[in-house]
Amino acid sequence: MRYDPSLHRTQGLLPLLIALAALIVYPFVFDATYFRHVVILAFVFAIVATSWDLSLGFGGLFNFAHVALFAVGIYTYAILAKTLGFSPWLSILAGGGTAAFVALLIALPVLRLDGIYVILVTIALSQLIYLVVISSSDVTGGTSGMVTLPTLTIGDYRLSRDGRIGYYFVGLALLVANLGFLYWVTRSRLGRSIVALRDNKYYAIARGISEARTRALTLMASAVFTGMAGAFYAAYLRVASPDAFGIGFLTLLLSILLVGGAGTIWGPVLAAFAISVASEWLSGFGAWQNIIIALAIILIVVFYPGGLWAALQELRQAADGARTSLMARWRRRERPAREALTGAPERMLETPHGSIAIADTGGDKPALLFLHGNSACKEAFCKQFRAFSDAYRVISFDYPGHGVSSNADPETSYNIPAYAEIAETVLADCGISEVYVFGWSLGGYVALELAARGNITVKALGITGTSPLNMVPDDFGRGYNPDSHLVLASKQYFSRTESDNYANSATAPISEESAFLHRNLRRTDGRARFYMLGRLGVVDWPRQMRMLREGRIPFAILNGSDDPFLNHDYIARLKYGNLWNGSPQDIPNGRHAPFFNQPDAFNLELFRFLKSADR
Amino acid sequence: MDPITLFSIIKGGLVLGALYALMATGLSLVWTTLGIFNFAHGAFIALGAYVAWQFASADAYGLPLGLALAVTTGVMFAIGAVIHFLLVKPFERRADVVLITVITTLAGSAILENALLLIWGPRSKQIPELVEGTVAVAEFQLAWSEVLLLVVVLAILIGLGLFLRYTRPGRSMRAVSQNREAAQLLGLDVPIYFALAFGLSAVTAGLAGVFVGTIRFMNPAMGAEPLMKALIVVIFGGIARFSSPIYAAFIIGLLEAFSIYVFGLYWAPAVLFLTMIVVLLIKPEGLFGKYQRTL
Repeated sequence: MRYDPSLHRTQGLLPLLIALAALIVYPFVFDATYFRHVVILAFVFAIVATSWDLSLGFGGLFNFAHVALFAVGIYTYAILAKTLGFSPWLSILAGGGTAAFVALLIALPVLRLDGIYVILVTIALSQLIYLVVISSSDVTGGTSGMVTLPTLTIGDYRLSRDGRIGYYFVGLALLVANLGFLYWVTRSRLGRSIVALRDNKYYAIARGISEARTRALTLMASAVFTGMAGAFYAAYLRVASPDAFGIGFLTLLLSILLVGGAGTIWGPVLAAFAISVASEWLSGFGAWQNIIIALAIILIVVFYPGGLWAALQELRQAADGARTSLMARWRRRERPAREALTGAPERMLETPHGSIAIADTGGDKPALLFLHGNSACKEAFCKQFRAFSDAYRVISFDYPGHGVSSNADPETSYNIPAYAEIAETVLADCGISEVYVFGWSLGGYVALELAARGNITVKALGITGTSPLNMVPDDFGRGYNPDSHLVLASKQYFSRTESDNYANSATAPISEESAFLHRNLRRTDGRARFYMLGRLGVVDWPRQMRMLREGRIPFAILNGSDDPFLNHDYIARLKYGNLWNGSPQDIPNGRHAPFFNQPDAFNLELFRFLKSADR
Repeated sequence: MDPITLFSIIKGGLVLGALYALMATGLSLVWTTLGIFNFAHGAFIALGAYVAWQFASADAYGLPLGLALAVTTGVMFAIGAVIHFLLVKPFERRADVVLITVITTLAGSAILENALLLIWGPRSKQIPELVEGTVAVAEFQLAWSEVLLLVVVLAILIGLGLFLRYTRPGRSMRAVSQNREAAQLLGLDVPIYFALAFGLSAVTAGLAGVFVGTIRFMNPAMGAEPLMKALIVVIFGGIARFSSPIYAAFIIGLLEAFSIYVFGLYWAPAVLFLTMIVVLLIKPEGLFGKYQRTL
């Protein structure tokens, strides 16, 4: 159940277009040749580093001969364009071809090796290529290299004129093409195989992925644009020198890759710009330049192991957390509207998991606790509050990160046992020791967990839209329909469309009546979704199933007959000790939230179940 | 080929082999104990040479050579241990420790080399020869310094081997490298033994640097080329035993000396790399290695 939409359907597209627009405008704002020169170098470094990331970050294949592939591109251009007099443009394309061919040669010894040996062998191979280049001085110019290489021209216009603006745009086009290529490769079948081999080699091989073929293709794919970037670099500087093989260049590129974040496409691009600019800025400091950059690299690796990209994600997460927290505070002012909806007074309770908003009709009646679903709020049960408050003391609360409760520490508070713990705290605060519990979707798991913990006497237990699970994550795929919008349930940030899709499927199609449920999606702390699903492992699932099989607590399943998320067959096949009416009950035409879509039919069923549980 | 040429080739090969053995032993000591590859090893070589120069050279402190060597040993050991705690220890629990330490030791190497540049400047230096004069048997000439180099290197290697084999800290260090968890359960302080391995490795690199500094001119980047040679030796010989890189070093040293004679100075390194790659293709665990599935 992997949700990975293409770029134009996520929030990634807009920042990308803005960045591209900024790069297009940049040379016209800063028309000094030097400023353009720095960015052109950054383009080249970005291409080489992101291409390297394909083999190193995505493939886990430590190819330290990658820099040699760049040098192969440089010398291909030098020899073809200068010595043999080919067209410079064709020579750039040929640079990609020869680099891919050399990558294939590199792949041969690497196919049999693993781990650190790959590093050592590829370093040795790159030294071998270097030695061959400096030894064949009649072709390559030896240690002094080749100078006055032909420059790129369009007709009679030399690209180096007008402050190198031509080179700037060729470099930008090459970078964009490279990123497009990498994006396409990483999302293709090949890209998935590359990642699968990295993550679990033997499993991937068992699933029919050829390790040798994939490794060779990975190295070749990472070589194409590296070679072209090398050729472009040679055409731009008009020099081919063996310095490109040096340990300095290797360190620079490796630091761009790691500082940016290995295993991401965009991180190294950012780092290429940051490091080229920083390196130029520090170039006046002599030996201190390298010391400062090396120190910065170590510090980043120590404190931000995921690199700039991870730092950026953390920043985004912090901003999103602050936004949702503010939104919750703001919405607390709308208390009268909420109280009118449920007919129950609302109060805040300070718990170890943050301040929790509780709606409680009060009175000395049997208590009925409603637990809401993922990215929803306690008011989802407004129709039950009204219907059941005559006979029951109806209670519901917002989970941390949801509704008007505060956000909480994602590590400790955004998981199912924590929600069950909060339910216990809330009930204790209300002075209740016996309770009927009804849970919806995520709330269903909270209800099962609450009953299984046994700290509170649960007199009856009802769930809707929840598949009880034996084994996680295996049963997760069986209990739900993986083609539904449920794949969004753990996504941290929603785009507008995703938010609408999820709310439509999980609650009700948007209307005036259901608008308040759709509003929840914007407020819910994205970490609550992400951590809750990431921490499924902390739940003792077999204990829940044992409880259901033993059947000490009357149990009912009231699912919407048209629930888009559920696999109804799976739920019906499970063994229950004390299931009301002997099978899961369908609410006709009910969806994932049947209590909201079909309130009358649902309330009747729930009422009958609660009555039967008393007997 | 006349006997004198043959003698000088073999002599050159043995001297090179001794140097490579010293460097490669240090490199493989860290590799086998910590499971990482130390790219700052080349910088250690340069650092050892500069520290020794500082204490021994008449232009600087001008201490007696033996004392200078002892001080260099102490300094190198301390620096090796410090580098371990700064650049390797913080990452040893990470899944990608191999890659991370590649970048941190590369960065550490950049810092050390540039620090050398800042402290001692770019001008080339040379350590005075340890002993002067030559010994001649018939027509075969042998410099005393070369004899001394061979003797000292062998003494260091034998000493290190005995240390690892017969002393308590040496055996503990091997235990730590063979099974970290079991060693920990027996109460061995793993980080201390890792630091010890790093320190010893730095000492061997530094002493190798001193010898290189007597033969060639010193500059801050002088360690890069020996590092590559040590790398070839380690891959060529494998790391199954303490002695495997030593045999490999002498084979490589002699091979290099003969290649220079046959193919010329430029192509000799290429021959070495090619030999190494061929060995790897046929026997990836190295010439004297035992087969392991992964490192």
